[in-house]
Amino acid sequence: MRIIELNKSVTASNDLDAEMLRGELKERGICLVNLMSSPGSGKTTLISRLIRDMNEEVPIAVCEADIDSAVDAERIEALGAVAIQVHTDGMCHMDAGMTRRGLEGMNLDGIRLAFLENVGNLICPAEYDTGAHINMMILSVPEGDDKPLKYPLMFEKSDVLVITKTDALPYFSFDTEKCVQRALALNPDLTIFPVSAKTGVGMDALEAWLKEQTFTN
Amino acid sequence: MQINKFNILETKNRIIADNDEVASRVRKDLSDKNIFFLNLMASPGAGKTTTLVRTINAIKDRYRIGVIEADVDSTVDAEMVAGTGVRVIQVHNGGSCHMDADMTLQGLEGLGLQDLDVIFLENIGNMVCPAEFDVGASCSAMILSVPEGDDKPLKYPLMFRVSDVLLINKTDTMEIFDFDQEALRKRVADLNPDCEIIPVSALTGEGFDVWIKWLTDRIESHRC
Repeated sequence: MRIIELNKSVTASNDLDAEMLRGELKERGICLVNLMSSPGSGKTTLISRLIRDMNEEVPIAVCEADIDSAVDAERIEALGAVAIQVHTDGMCHMDAGMTRRGLEGMNLDGIRLAFLENVGNLICPAEYDTGAHINMMILSVPEGDDKPLKYPLMFEKSDVLVITKTDALPYFSFDTEKCVQRALALNPDLTIFPVSAKTGVGMDALEAWLKEQTFTN
Repeated sequence: MQINKFNILETKNRIIADNDEVASRVRKDLSDKNIFFLNLMASPGAGKTTTLVRTINAIKDRYRIGVIEADVDSTVDAEMVAGTGVRVIQVHNGGSCHMDADMTLQGLEGLGLQDLDVIFLENIGNMVCPAEFDVGASCSAMILSVPEGDDKPLKYPLMFRVSDVLLINKTDTMEIFDFDQEALRKRVADLNPDCEIIPVSALTGEGFDVWIKWLTDRIESHRC
């Protein structure tokens, strides 16, 4: 009997597509950030803040992935950044091919920083390489400091963890130190920034770091 | 006209059909044994375990309760629920992003159905995939927490469509978040007019009288 390991071949072919996309984007001087998190942890709000603070110096484009609706892309376009809305047709994650189609739908001339706002999901997106140069994840304070224990893969696959909604810390029993320890135990190379995209606290450090990651032509 | 030179295998339809078959068997078996089975779904961190613990404490004198805790990893939730004194089993589903009927069946077998009136399944924290898989439950409940925002029905419609009841949790934090309850109710009603919406705070207990009444009514009508 022949056994076909479907899961393996799907991710292997995706990995090839991702590697190609990553190289092409680098050649064009575009740094692609894959932003992942649970629903409602503040992906769009964080990107909105980054656009307001950085767009003039570092032109930004955003590919918004959602199962349905266009509310996120509308918010981004209103801020003057290049944006496109991708509907995943019920799919719970973005892969490299979907990301390429999303990026191809935008005019990326002069763009130096592109965000892929992945589907709100702390599990499946971590399994798929999108071709991004940086995997960025968000954990928001209301979600709780135990999430690295329950959803380890996302923390393992990310280069940077942004802890958002720190302005809500007084209202939740969230132990930042404990959360950082748990995340670093899974991934010692993880860079961590606690921020409030609402009040702007902590955004300076994240923005300086992001600027360093862009490609100099 | 282009003619396909190959067959297209829609594996997803087959997977869902197979799952539905197992789910129907689970539902019938539990119904025959007079057991009410609730599937609880939500995003990570919406408060599933906190809600479950408060719910168990409110009804455990009336019903014999069993709980299946599904997680990708860890046992923190099962430990919390075990503190209530009810029977608990932790299911690790090997990285999968949802529970399907077969995994649920394994969980039920591990838990044991003897001497139980009510079983809760705490599904994997995920607002997308669990909605696609019937687990054989008598009733599907979902939680949306205030910090997640009132726009979620627009972006994750399926879970709102398949749920019998929606708990809006963390209402104690309403004042610090920009959450429009009326807008949410309208968005949910557009997707699923039959979905009962109950605002609660699992932390303070606010709204739990309404939720517990709704739940026990459901349990009674299922078990009579």
